[in-house]
Amino acid sequence: MISVTDLHLSFGQNAVLRGVDLEIAQGESLVIIGGSGSGKSVLIKTILGLLTPDEGQVTINGTPRTAAFMSSIGMLFQGAALFDSLPVWQNVAFRDLRGPKRQDARAHAVKVLAEVGLGPDVADKYPGELSGGMQKRVGLARAIAADPDVLFFDEPTTGLDPMMAGVINALIRRVATDRGATAITITHDMASMHAIADRVAMIHEGRIHWQGTLAELETSDDPHLRQFTSGGADGPIQPHW
Amino acid sequence: MRFLAALGAAVLAALASIGRFSMFIAHTFARAVRRPFYAAAFGKALLQIGFFSLPVVGLTALFTGGALALQIYAGGSRFSAEAVVPQIVAIGVVRELGPVLVGLMVAARVTSSIAAELATMKVTEQIDALHTLSTDPMQYLTVPRVFAATLVVPLLVAVGDTIGIFGGYLISTLRLDFNPASYLQNTVDFLEMRDIISSLVKGAVFGTIAALVGCYYGLNSDRGAIGVGVATKGAVVAASVLILAANFVLTEAFFST
Ligand SMILES: Nc1ncnc2c1ncn2[C@@H]1O[C@H](COP(=O)(O)OP(=O)(O)O)[C@@H](O)[C@H]1O
Ligand SMILES: [Mg+2]
Repeated sequence: MISVTDLHLSFGQNAVLRGVDLEIAQGESLVIIGGSGSGKSVLIKTILGLLTPDEGQVTINGTPRTAAFMSSIGMLFQGAALFDSLPVWQNVAFRDLRGPKRQDARAHAVKVLAEVGLGPDVADKYPGELSGGMQKRVGLARAIAADPDVLFFDEPTTGLDPMMAGVINALIRRVATDRGATAITITHDMASMHAIADRVAMIHEGRIHWQGTLAELETSDDPHLRQFTSGGADGPIQPHW
Repeated sequence: MRFLAALGAAVLAALASIGRFSMFIAHTFARAVRRPFYAAAFGKALLQIGFFSLPVVGLTALFTGGALALQIYAGGSRFSAEAVVPQIVAIGVVRELGPVLVGLMVAARVTSSIAAELATMKVTEQIDALHTLSTDPMQYLTVPRVFAATLVVPLLVAVGDTIGIFGGYLISTLRLDFNPASYLQNTVDFLEMRDIISSLVKGAVFGTIAALVGCYYGLNSDRGAIGVGVATKGAVVAASVLILAANFVLTEAFFST
């Protein structure tokens, strides 16, 4: 269980997180939605410890996060964040490059690449030679390669065609259900949300504005949530351009 | 009053960055003695810093050695002391120009590329990604580069010294009618072990500075393409100034007696 309590984080004048409280149960698939710039990426980076909050805390099963936490997680970054100096297979099998699994690292990478719909020919390419959607999938492969307990996906289907998005949604669902991993996914893609989520949390104005199951989401009459999930400019959220 | 406040703020900011850079150095050395050691990254850095700097170092040293010989000849002839060309070229190149020119070339070539590479990694979240893969960016990126630079820049200096002396030799024998054999003999006789050691020590110090500064600016860059540019420029300027300052201190330490 991951508990986030009263998280505050500002960048200068920009108060991004203004008291986020959130609990994520072991083995559940939580989808985080919210407008762009609302602090979704910042929230999961703070949960991971990549950003240090001004106030509040993150605990794992009741105790503060330790360095060992990183060895039990996988993270897909919004921009994939592949290492451009390494070929694809070394990105995917990065944790195995040194140590006992070194010999099988490449074969393992090829297997995981197949899970995200990429053929073995991609393994020896460099990230710069791939399209955005392919980079995203390599990032996804890197996140799941070591079979982590907790997975973070930042917009996994952005930049993918609908068919490939479906493949990725099924993969994320499978990782959460079959392997019993906890999955925390940020998405703007409502189809993806419906395919993946056990539970949904919406972030708005620096706080968790709404959270509940998919069934609860269907019947909720919260105007912010309605506007966000059905799209459109009418409603309480003022789009600013 | 306002002037004093601004001055105070500037001094505090300068002290703060000196403090942060010192912490960075301490962290680097703490990790240098800890496992794992990333041998592949180290090998790559050796090639990039050492081997690929050879052309620019060679050309710089060759031209400068030649120009130095011409100037010493011109200056010396006013005191009828033209004959000292080989000795002064040797001392000038080995003690000062060789290490300084190589240091500045390494700052231009290596510090800038390290800073730009690491800043780009920072901006594209590759540094964050390393953390999520249980890899310490300082250990993975900084330590191999600093090690490689410390080891290989002295070799570059040795090459630069040799080619610089050769530049002086070429000009002296082709243009100034020096006898080739005695030019070389004078050079070899005049140089002391202390000159050569100081040259190599300077190379090691300058290499360390060049790599450390590049890593520091890169890993601390701001977001966006502007951040990469600012980090790169800042790194080259800081490394060049630090190298020249360190050169003065080392010259003082080796030769002031
Ligand atoms: N490292 C950073 N430095 C300064 N501002 C940041 C940083 N990271 C994010 N922000 C700002 O925080 C806000 C939320 O960003 P983010 O979490 O990326 O939004 P999103 O919900 O679209 O993922 C944005 O206004 C962004 O500009
Ligand atoms: Mg985001």
